[in-house]
Amino acid sequence: MTEKIEQMLTYYVKNREHHKFRRAPKDPYRLAVNYEREGLDDLERTVRRLRDMLEEETPVVLPGESIAFLRTVVTVPEIYTAAEFEELSRKHYIHEQGKVCNISPDYMHLLSCGFDGKKREIRKRIAEFEKNGERERVRYERSLLDTLEAIETFTDRYAQEAERVGNQEAARLLRRVPREKPETFLEALQFLRIVHYCLWCSFNYHNTLGRFDQYMYPFYEKDMREGRLTKESALELVEEFFLCLNKDSDLYTGMQQGDNGQSMVLGGLKPDGTESYNELSDICLQASLELKLIDPKINLRVNKNTPLSMYVRGTELTRQGLGFPQYSNDDIVVKALLDWGYEEKDAYNYAMAACWEFIIPGCGMDIPNINGLSFPACVVASVNRLQEFDTFEEVMTDVKKNIYAEAKRLRDSVASVYLEPAPLLSMLMDGCVERGTDISRGNKYNNFGFHGTGIATAVDSLASVRKYVYEEKSITKETLLDALEKDFKGYEELANMLRYEGPKMGNDEDEVDELATILLDWFADSMEGFKNERGGIYRVGTGSAMYYIWQSKDEQATPDGRHKGEQFAANYSPSIFTRLDGPISIVKSFTKQNLTRVSNGGPLTIELSDTMFRNEESLEKTAQFVKTFVDLGGHQMQINAVNREQMIDAKKHPENHRNLIVRVWGWSGYFVELDECYQDHIIKRMELVV
Amino acid sequence: MSKTGIIFDIKQLAVFDGPGIRTTVFMKGCPLRCKWCHNPEGLSFLPQLMVSTQGCDGCGRCKEVCPSPEHCTACGRCVVACPRHLRKICGTEYTAEALAKKLWKDERIFRMNGGGVTLSGGEPTAQWEFVLELLERLEGIHRAIETCGYCSWEIFAEILNRLDYIIMDIKLADPKKHKYWTGKSNERILANLEQLKCSKKPFTARIPLIPGVNDTKENLRMTAELLKYTDNLERLELLPYHKTAGAKYSMVNLEYAPRFDENQEVNAAVEIFERYEIPVRIL
Repeated sequence: MTEKIEQMLTYYVKNREHHKFRRAPKDPYRLAVNYEREGLDDLERTVRRLRDMLEEETPVVLPGESIAFLRTVVTVPEIYTAAEFEELSRKHYIHEQGKVCNISPDYMHLLSCGFDGKKREIRKRIAEFEKNGERERVRYERSLLDTLEAIETFTDRYAQEAERVGNQEAARLLRRVPREKPETFLEALQFLRIVHYCLWCSFNYHNTLGRFDQYMYPFYEKDMREGRLTKESALELVEEFFLCLNKDSDLYTGMQQGDNGQSMVLGGLKPDGTESYNELSDICLQASLELKLIDPKINLRVNKNTPLSMYVRGTELTRQGLGFPQYSNDDIVVKALLDWGYEEKDAYNYAMAACWEFIIPGCGMDIPNINGLSFPACVVASVNRLQEFDTFEEVMTDVKKNIYAEAKRLRDSVASVYLEPAPLLSMLMDGCVERGTDISRGNKYNNFGFHGTGIATAVDSLASVRKYVYEEKSITKETLLDALEKDFKGYEELANMLRYEGPKMGNDEDEVDELATILLDWFADSMEGFKNERGGIYRVGTGSAMYYIWQSKDEQATPDGRHKGEQFAANYSPSIFTRLDGPISIVKSFTKQNLTRVSNGGPLTIELSDTMFRNEESLEKTAQFVKTFVDLGGHQMQINAVNREQMIDAKKHPENHRNLIVRVWGWSGYFVELDECYQDHIIKRMELVV
Repeated sequence: MSKTGIIFDIKQLAVFDGPGIRTTVFMKGCPLRCKWCHNPEGLSFLPQLMVSTQGCDGCGRCKEVCPSPEHCTACGRCVVACPRHLRKICGTEYTAEALAKKLWKDERIFRMNGGGVTLSGGEPTAQWEFVLELLERLEGIHRAIETCGYCSWEIFAEILNRLDYIIMDIKLADPKKHKYWTGKSNERILANLEQLKCSKKPFTARIPLIPGVNDTKENLRMTAELLKYTDNLERLELLPYHKTAGAKYSMVNLEYAPRFDENQEVNAAVEIFERYEIPVRIL
């Protein structure tokens, strides 16, 4: 790491000195009242919001920095008043905050032509649409022009500020981009920073970085070829860019601090079967390794032919304790996407949404996290009617019915989706400029994804019912039902037996793991053949997002010995209260299922003691372990190097652990900034560390 | 009839117990009583109750269900009674057949990763009849052992014969000091070390470095003398003493009395071994 980057780290991350430029939080509805009064429609409002927001902003350029843009306005304004939004919510399904989010922009749509080039294209479209009398489309194209011009005006103010503080290099750069297309790696990075920054200011969130190592490579390669860059200077630039992603990240909206969706994907198979991992991918890994920051969240695309050396590289990063890289297996994921009807070139080009959902840059307007099915809820409903079932097969038939019913309820729940228009984001997506329609209205792929929460709780519960009630008959139906109803009060020994000795998914027992195969297959079957209102399909997956907390909060006691309200495991992971046979059994148990059918996204998470990363040899073996998971046909994996004592101390003395980073469900954040229930879940998970 | 053995843990993804990704089987019972032992639950040959006191709120359910308060028989009644899951029976009986079957399930994983099974303890050679059968049943999987080498020449020869890799402790070179610190003289151990050196089987030697006990220049030089010019010695590993060693004693109702200064810094003098051209590293 160079001295410059070290200084920037101290300035921005350690001391957070840049917070002095920030203004006090403001009323998020400060502009909406005006918009309402003026009678503006949603498109006009989004264009105005970006312009007004950027006008409120004060440019800040530091003397030595190469890549500018910093937030000083803390609160991004809403376009609707609270009352208007409430009215909208009554009529529509509002996904999260009602904004376009969590998709993968194709930044090349602007990087390749610059704003000037894009404006020429838009004007051409306007002329065509005018000729055909398509006034709505003309109006839309004009809003795109306005959006670009607002950003240009803002950049001019930044250029002036750069001159004022004597940063001539930055001033020169900002006079060129984003109007002109970038010619060098640095120009491309500054360009990307501006666009990404403005996405946040447009109230789009979970703004992913996608396949950065692919779309930025031509700029890198040209600079290297023409002698403008060395590997060292490229690393410094990448590090500065990564740092930029962390400057304002505490202002980015999400479920928890850190859940900001700034994911980045490195490597991956091309349709011809060759590997796309390149020099720049490696520089990105190195940058992440040196900076040890929560953003960007690194994903590595691997496959059965990926050499061990790449896993070793990834494991070196895992050793830093950041909770990434996350690995995704192209052999499974690409196949899943093809099966779902994605075109070959798109399937091979997949990137990652905020956490782990697989999405396509440029052409995907999928909403891959639109809702989630609770497997334990489907099982509990059947278990509570155990008296009616003479055989375990009858129980399972009933569980199947519940899954199908819940699937229907979920599909019906997401009707009449409304999203605010997103003109800037639309210019980064395929076809929006050509068609004159906004990305919020849909694109080539409009699939909805459902999470599947608590698979291990459901499987363990069913396996216990089968074993103790129907096979051994050591627990009567009456006893079990009474115990569950009373949350095991008066049945403490039974609870302990079920919890600690009952059959568990993760012990490599075929008959138990098969239950997971069945449940996941039913989940996939239950959604197959249905179309959503946008013409897309429903994808199902093994992710949980925050549903492992939400859906478990009120869930009654379960036959795996789980008490009422106790949390499920996050994502595709084994029970959090039982010591299993070990990581080998876990990866075997969790790779037996038909994962291509449930590859919406959602990793197997494994906690490993940080001592396993102690020397080169043990680190290589840990890398082999990840490779084994992929070679066995796992779809996605995420490993944490943890030290439980450190977490416990951090809870007690947060002041001593401000920079302790942990993985939460699909993202990494600062431990001391999390809500207590998430902290406790992580500590609990660690009691089972290998 | 398949022989039975008492196992106190089976640890998958062991990365410090021999080549590749391994599963380590911890066998109960040890003939030595090293003052610094950090696996006190491995000393006794019998299953025993292990109690964790951290988090215990003294609810008393364990006492209510205990049928034999004067003398614990490791019956396990209190284990399921404890609402916080703070008790366990340490030590499970396996037949060699059942354990081999369990380990064979992961044969493919071992093969994919150049790994195998390692027997550890306690002292695995102490349950030699079980170990011999188990190793035979594991033929086809890479088999390793972690041993203190304290057993008869004949048994060691038999076991050695069925192994692919050996990790052997050389705790102290001087017989008298060895007896003082471990309870037994090292004559058998040194004889078995000679046998190992002649066997041509690849091995790692280990010294648990205990401050003031065996980290003296004299002992390290004597150990180097024992190990020099040994072709099949892959390397020597030095394991500096950890102060956490005493943590588990109270859990098995034992007292930790190290009789050396735990706070003294260990002398990991790798240069002594380097002088003898013995490949060495600190673990």
